[in-house]
Amino acid sequence: MWQVVGHEWAVTLFENSLAQGRLSHAYLFTGPPRIGKTTLALNLAQALNCTGKDKPCGECLSCQKTSQGIHPDVRMVDLAYQKGLLEGREGSTALGIDAIRSIQSDAALKPFEGRWKVFIIPQAENMTPEAANCLLKTLEEPPSHVVLLLTALHTDLLFPTIVSRCQVFNLRPPSTTLIREALGRRWDLEGERAHLIAALSAGRMGWAVEAAQNQALLRERNGRLDELLSLPGARRLERLSFAQRWGSQPERVKEILTLWLGWWRDLLLAKEGCWDKMENIDRKNTLLEEAEKHELGEIKEFISSIRETLHELESNVNLRLALEVLMLDLPSKR
Amino acid sequence: MPGQALYRKYRPRTFSEVVGQEHVTRTLQNALAAGRVVHAYLFSGPRGTGKTSTARILAKAVNCLAEEGEKPCNDCSICRSVDEGRLLDLIEIDAASHTGVDDIRDLREKIHFAPSEARYKFYIIDEAHMLSTSAFNALLKTLEEPPAHAYFVLATTAPHKIPATILSRCQRFDFRPIPMKKIVGRLEWIAEQEGVEVEREALELIARQATGSMRDADSLLDQVASSSDKKITLLQVQNILGTTSSQAVADLVASLAAREVSRGLHLINETIADGADPKQFGQEIIEYLRGVLLIKVAGQNPPDVTPESAQDMALRAKQFSLPGLLTTIRLFSQATLDKAAFPPHLPLELAFVEATLPETEKTPKADKTRAKSRPGPRHAKERRETASPPPAEAKVDKRLPSRETKDPQALERIENLWEGLLTQIKKRNMHVEALLKSCQPVAVEEDVVVLGFYYPFHKGRIEEPRCKGLVEEVLSQAVGQPYHIECVLLADRERRRESPKKGNLQAVKEDPLIKAALEMGGEITEVKSPPPEP
Repeated sequence: MWQVVGHEWAVTLFENSLAQGRLSHAYLFTGPPRIGKTTLALNLAQALNCTGKDKPCGECLSCQKTSQGIHPDVRMVDLAYQKGLLEGREGSTALGIDAIRSIQSDAALKPFEGRWKVFIIPQAENMTPEAANCLLKTLEEPPSHVVLLLTALHTDLLFPTIVSRCQVFNLRPPSTTLIREALGRRWDLEGERAHLIAALSAGRMGWAVEAAQNQALLRERNGRLDELLSLPGARRLERLSFAQRWGSQPERVKEILTLWLGWWRDLLLAKEGCWDKMENIDRKNTLLEEAEKHELGEIKEFISSIRETLHELESNVNLRLALEVLMLDLPSKR
Repeated sequence: MPGQALYRKYRPRTFSEVVGQEHVTRTLQNALAAGRVVHAYLFSGPRGTGKTSTARILAKAVNCLAEEGEKPCNDCSICRSVDEGRLLDLIEIDAASHTGVDDIRDLREKIHFAPSEARYKFYIIDEAHMLSTSAFNALLKTLEEPPAHAYFVLATTAPHKIPATILSRCQRFDFRPIPMKKIVGRLEWIAEQEGVEVEREALELIARQATGSMRDADSLLDQVASSSDKKITLLQVQNILGTTSSQAVADLVASLAAREVSRGLHLINETIADGADPKQFGQEIIEYLRGVLLIKVAGQNPPDVTPESAQDMALRAKQFSLPGLLTTIRLFSQATLDKAAFPPHLPLELAFVEATLPETEKTPKADKTRAKSRPGPRHAKERRETASPPPAEAKVDKRLPSRETKDPQALERIENLWEGLLTQIKKRNMHVEALLKSCQPVAVEEDVVVLGFYYPFHKGRIEEPRCKGLVEEVLSQAVGQPYHIECVLLADRERRRESPKKGNLQAVKEDPLIKAALEMGGEITEVKSPPPEP
């Protein structure tokens, strides 16, 4: 059973390749965050080494070891792995050349118990240029028992030389209907709540599962939305104090801004009457009221401002200053 | 045994199999025939164009044992062991993993030993651009005068990172991106060998996606080949690649032209829900709009377009205004640049909304000042104006030349040209440019441009006939009609922009930072602009 939700076309392709023995030695999964890239990679790793009938069975020893992350032939080459390599020395936030060199020496060895040695490199865009170049030759012609699985947000973030050596699977967010069904089937979540979580996730299956298991996540979101709603009516002083409050927590701010982005996009859709595509379906009426209060150009402009701020967050900006500017850009209620 | 990736299985084994690099292979073959193979080559070019493959073929050719006929023969023991990757004398170095000077020193030590099996030792240094500076330098002497039994090939995708001293010691061959037709031909051949049936259109789509790289094309074919047992159709390939049906693109452009925002947003969402890749979709929209542009401007149908869609495009060409069309194309190209946006369709939606907004509401991103002067909170402003004490009058520039610009557009035009003018003048006379920096055009009357100066010294210098002539000449050239200049002195270093033409104070108050300051109890006592740049 493939655990991954959506991506049927990719799964079908893998099933065919497994049946026909046409496996490639390198795969690259790209797509937005939390849509199931690493899950799919792990699933594929399971399928490769599965000893059961219906691969991946999820029940045989090999599958279980893989899902618990203790299979000796399935290696997750991420920052945690690098930290282990460096043995306590200060590691950076990028995947360095040492990690890749360790793959190379490791790949030369035969697998311990499985049929394949699988290396999964999640977020391959985090590799340093040296590391990426170092991977090239191994990625092109690895030993015959090695499969490399890479994930990345977008092919443009990797070197073209890396991309051209892999079979690229450009994954799309699974549809909200699929997510709703999956939530019902596997996490026993039905009715209103499943509907809402699916819509809010906008295809981020990982988020949906987290929200289904953690009640606090939705509560928090409601609080954040109320805050957001109060801001356009607030005086500038209050707005700036909001910026001050969040100015020291970059990680949280990113979440908040993503939430806002969803909300303002909904306003845009509400303004143009595209009800069925909205995310925040539990607040449809508020959305309609709010949409009345803003011009289309104004909404569009503020969405651009939010995205600009999100971009700036990536590039070591003074967070409080960025938030203050955003607050000043926030359109006011008419 | 698991299947090998197609690009490894069908790696070219003879010169004639290397696709689209005749300028390289022919030269090498001639050199082989004439016995003029040099000891060091540099192969550069984009990914997947055959650099490493050609290097290996060359290694076989120089060592091939065949008495006569074409080399490599692919039949003798040497050729076979190269193909199987077990010839001891073919040393392929992954320079990206072995970047250091020690690796090169190791090479230098061993190169003097005679080859074990073949006639020549053949070194392929792949990804050579990753060698460190000291590694490159350590290689220099060996590369210039290697032992008689050694050959070098350096292969790289980034020749600009190779030091000039290395470049000058090698014969350099530039591999070119492979033309689409040749890729299709090669793909057809591979598909035939593999016993896979693929539609011709599907192969063409693959070749187009590969953008000149054979390996990309092979990878895609590999992927597509696993998608089904039967004949592979264009639709399946589109599904895997996330490309869009041309109908969706045409519909979207139609709703763009008709400014149907709601329909357009629906279309974007549905197309992407159907599995289209947003970036691809954006690029196809641009491609289509480009067709419309060609018809509109040049009146000719774009190549590679069916008559039906050309008709459609002609229809759209009538609906769009030229500036509107250009802005739309620009907006969508910006949207496709966004690499990892979430939600993925948002950039397209924004571009669409912005393209359909009426002209007056548009605020181009580049124009920050305009973007910031958006209408602010009205109620807040009114409240403040009654609450806060009336701000002190800003200083009035009474001595500003009494001349008023009759044609404000002319002044604006000159102001826009001003920066360019300065650079032009700088090329001819640095002093004049420096002098001009301390003035600014304040008015234009018919063919006279009035320049305002802050200091009599600058004014006097510019009024010298030599300087004046130069300025007038450049100015006339830039504007395209003869202009004279007249110099006046601005008293108190006041600039025209400060003159509180009523809107100015208002504009200052509109500034978001000043607004915030006012709200926190600030007062406007004086409006000053920053001192002129030194």
